[in-house]
Amino acid sequence: MSEKVYAFRCTACGLVSYPKHAVCPKCRGETFEPVEIAGEGAVLTYTDVYALAIDYDTRYLRLAIVELDGGLRVTGQLLDESPKVGKRVRTTIGVVREPAGKPIYGLQFVPA
Amino acid sequence: MRSVYVIGAGMTRFGRSEWPLVDLAAAASLAALHHANLGKVPVNAVVVANMGAGRINRQTAIASALVDRLSLWPAAAEAVENGPASGASAVKVGYQAIASGMADVVLVTGVEMMRAVDGLEATDFVASLSQPEAEYIYGVTLPSLAGLFARLYMDRYGVERKHLALVAIKNHDNAMKNPYAHIHQPITMEGILTSPEAVVNNPPVAEPLHMFDCCPVSDGAAAVVLASEEVAAKLGAARVAIAGIGQATDTHAVHERQDPTDLKAVRLASAAAFDKAGLKPSDIDVAELHDAFTILEIAESEAAGFFKVGQAHKAIERGETKLTGKLPINPSGGLKAKGHPVGATGVAQLVELTWQLRGEATGRQVAKAKAAYACNFGGFGNNVVATVLRKEER
Ligand SMILES: [Zn+2]
Repeated sequence: MSEKVYAFRCTACGLVSYPKHAVCPKCRGETFEPVEIAGEGAVLTYTDVYALAIDYDTRYLRLAIVELDGGLRVTGQLLDESPKVGKRVRTTIGVVREPAGKPIYGLQFVPA
Repeated sequence: MRSVYVIGAGMTRFGRSEWPLVDLAAAASLAALHHANLGKVPVNAVVVANMGAGRINRQTAIASALVDRLSLWPAAAEAVENGPASGASAVKVGYQAIASGMADVVLVTGVEMMRAVDGLEATDFVASLSQPEAEYIYGVTLPSLAGLFARLYMDRYGVERKHLALVAIKNHDNAMKNPYAHIHQPITMEGILTSPEAVVNNPPVAEPLHMFDCCPVSDGAAAVVLASEEVAAKLGAARVAIAGIGQATDTHAVHERQDPTDLKAVRLASAAAFDKAGLKPSDIDVAELHDAFTILEIAESEAAGFFKVGQAHKAIERGETKLTGKLPINPSGGLKAKGHPVGATGVAQLVELTWQLRGEATGRQVAKAKAAYACNFGGFGNNVVATVLRKEER
């Protein structure tokens, strides 16, 4: 299991998209190069969700959509005791789900 | 294309089914078939809307099973799985079959038995429609997406929790008048928002959304019988026409939408349905919207064109969407209080609207309803089917 998360840059037009598309949404190109998702950005929106999926034994999860500097948006887990829309955060990688004891790594956000 | 009519509509009470899946589907089907009063006219095809029987009820190929239970052989049969929009998608398949001349009479039945599994499993079953590697792995569930959407939307347009509560109160009130509704519980602003007890009565589900902003987990089935103009005329059926259907998709991951508060697929699907029907949003007398979460009733009513963006919550304050208002929304109680057996929902919306247009919605009838609109919202808005029904005078 990869411990990095990648966006995809279209080799024809340069558009970076996430998640993966087999065809570029802008120019319909079909070749991409992976770009590691890492850096700082701002919280666009967040929620504390108590209606949890399976694989979690916490009371709630704090999820967010973050707009990274440069414009790419990503969804992930927000590790911040005092969340606020617009607050600066940076990405980190952690275990975001552990089905049947098998860890899945993904994006988490901590205060910048 | 040939014109298509809804000549029969029926459903089971939503809630908890004591029957197995196929019996539940058969009960709604028979109600619709009796309503249609087909006599010796054969059913050419059966389309079943269902999202999760393969997973949660461990039964596949349920359209074949339903044909068998109803002894409708050799009718064609297929199931449509399109997430929470399965219902209206299945009606679209039936519509296409008749419009193209492939069939004259089609039974469309939506069914879901979500209470066959526990709440966690039911939540996960629906969550599995989210984007697998960019949403689902993070613990995203449908309430999470609704919470993320609601915070953004409410901040931008000045929508407050009291507006969400007004939607819930209205839909619970309407459901009190609907014997088929899952929830028969009147609620008040004090009880769910303003009193000290509200904190306990109405706990958070996905902030800023609370329990009374979310639909229940329901079992249920709903069915319509569709027919060509020739068959409808021969049977002397009430003239409820499918005047237009529109469908549109959007990005799978909510974060990838240029403006995540813009329900683009609702906008495009609705515009296409209105265009085909030759009607405008202002021509609509009654609407059923996909209020799996209260915020969605507000946002969809704007994207469909009934209100300007950012204005629906003000119309709700003025009571315009109540049964007695200018545009009654969710007279059935909506998903919020009628319940949301996912595969059945899109069909059930059209059952309610057919009854409304025929003047048969006893206790909650919208006076002189001639044109009706339904929004069946799949995924988190990434696959939407809009339908316009119109009563034709004979
Ligand atoms: Zn490109």
